[in-house]
Amino acid sequence: MTHSMMPERREGPVDPMPKSPSPLDEGGGPRRPDTGSPEKDSLMKRMRKVDPKQAERYKQRTGE
Amino acid sequence: MLNRIFGLETEYGLLIHEDRPDHSPTWFAHKIRDHLFQVQRRGVLDLHHRGHDEPPGNGGFLTNAGRIYLDMGHLEYASPECHSLMDVVASDRAGDLLLQRTIEALGFCDQVSLIKNNIDHETDATFGSHENYLVPRRFPFSRSGMAPLVTFLVTRQIFTGSGRVGSAPLQDAWIQMDRLLVPRSTFGTQPISELPFQISQRADYIVNDFFEWVQQNRAIVNTRDEPLADPNQYRRIHLLLGDSNMAEYATALKLGTTGLVLQLIEEGHAPQELEIDEPVEALQEISQDQERRWLVRLQSHKMMSAVDIQERFLDCAVRHYSGQDEETDWVLAQWASVLHDLRGDYQKLVGRVDWASKLWLLNCFREAEHVEWTDPMLKSLDLEYHNLNPAKGLYHGLLEEGRVPRVTTDRLIDLAMDTAPKNTRAYGRSELVRYLLSERPASVADQLPAADGLFPSYVINWSIFQVRGRAPFPMPDPFKTYLKDVRTHLDSVIV
Repeated sequence: MTHSMMPERREGPVDPMPKSPSPLDEGGGPRRPDTGSPEKDSLMKRMRKVDPKQAERYKQRTGE
Repeated sequence: MLNRIFGLETEYGLLIHEDRPDHSPTWFAHKIRDHLFQVQRRGVLDLHHRGHDEPPGNGGFLTNAGRIYLDMGHLEYASPECHSLMDVVASDRAGDLLLQRTIEALGFCDQVSLIKNNIDHETDATFGSHENYLVPRRFPFSRSGMAPLVTFLVTRQIFTGSGRVGSAPLQDAWIQMDRLLVPRSTFGTQPISELPFQISQRADYIVNDFFEWVQQNRAIVNTRDEPLADPNQYRRIHLLLGDSNMAEYATALKLGTTGLVLQLIEEGHAPQELEIDEPVEALQEISQDQERRWLVRLQSHKMMSAVDIQERFLDCAVRHYSGQDEETDWVLAQWASVLHDLRGDYQKLVGRVDWASKLWLLNCFREAEHVEWTDPMLKSLDLEYHNLNPAKGLYHGLLEEGRVPRVTTDRLIDLAMDTAPKNTRAYGRSELVRYLLSERPASVADQLPAADGLFPSYVINWSIFQVRGRAPFPMPDPFKTYLKDVRTHLDSVIV
């Protein structure tokens, strides 16, 4: 599965924007993910490090 | 994209990691803002009252011509006016990075995390991601004229939603019946039970189809008429029903498809007979549909899926705008791709669609750790998806693993942190901010109006600015850069 990158920007902030890297060139997605558990990769490690109580700690006010 | 100015406003949450913190999220927000403006000198603080809740020093314009300010205790970033999807995605990410790098510079990373989401699972607070689209004043801004827009917005969440664990309680909503505001509960809406997962963060909080308020009675289409431009030429379509997206791809697709649907409406090409019977209820039902069939009832009594409805819009857009410009063609191709994949296994969308990425991560965790949806850990993981700390956030973990397509680059985001798009009025405003930074002291305390009530040394708003001693400088056309005129005006200023 491949996705073409967005076209190059012609009116960049300073210089013309470079072409976005091809996902195939750099190995960046969107590959179909491994449908198994990410047990052995860093994602599961990240998830296990999350503080289980952090949703309780968030305490945000309504905004807009 | 042709004839469109885009902008995004993002309110961020601040997650404090300590059990008994010494400081509130608002304290951290003040520290971050002050460091940005007074130490890093990324912009100039406002010296005037912008509104009842925006006193002098509350925020200011940046060298990239966007704004950072405090709103109801939240740090908020408004992107500069952008004329391309590439610019608005880069500018949006620039806001994330400006704030994240400031937390790092302050050494706060262990104490606080910047969370780019829209809900608090515990307090049921919500905070926004607002989209802005400039349209001609002749845009059919009426219930019938905007009926296709409502249908599109209700159904686009299948690829724009960021997903959440659980649901919000029934919102205190009022709806207008003729000239009376009546509680929605009058009509017997029942509270919803707790859900495992739904595809949108904001759907539960949208309680009206059209309304002008932003803090209560949030509507699918916000009707406040504040163009921030020449009101005879322009109107600003201001949408507050969407979620903050972590995926660049989702941000680009959200803004790109919505921009094309607005063009379809402007030019009389929108698909007809797709009016949804009860759009507010449909918005929530689609978000909460655990089977992801996403069926809605139309006013014609026909049942139709959100994917089928979106394909009707896509077909019209392909018919009329294919080949219009490169960005349009990118949007049309990716819109088709996502709708195709939404008919199959949601895992195909991991990396491109935020709710799919989050659901996949949560399901992986649940399977590995044998936890139920009721486990509070899942709400904490939900938050962590939106953590902007690249060493912690789950979205950033996906990015690191190469599961996320990019539509911009780190270099472009770095550029957008400091510089404005060169093809909108943001460019002229950026020139002004740089001039003021070169001329003025860093501390707002040194810049505030003198006690004798003198006009502050400058006032900047989106469509006008004034430097003390000179005439106001209007910038009513967001498509103009005003660069030469701004330079000439500033060169003539007596300081």
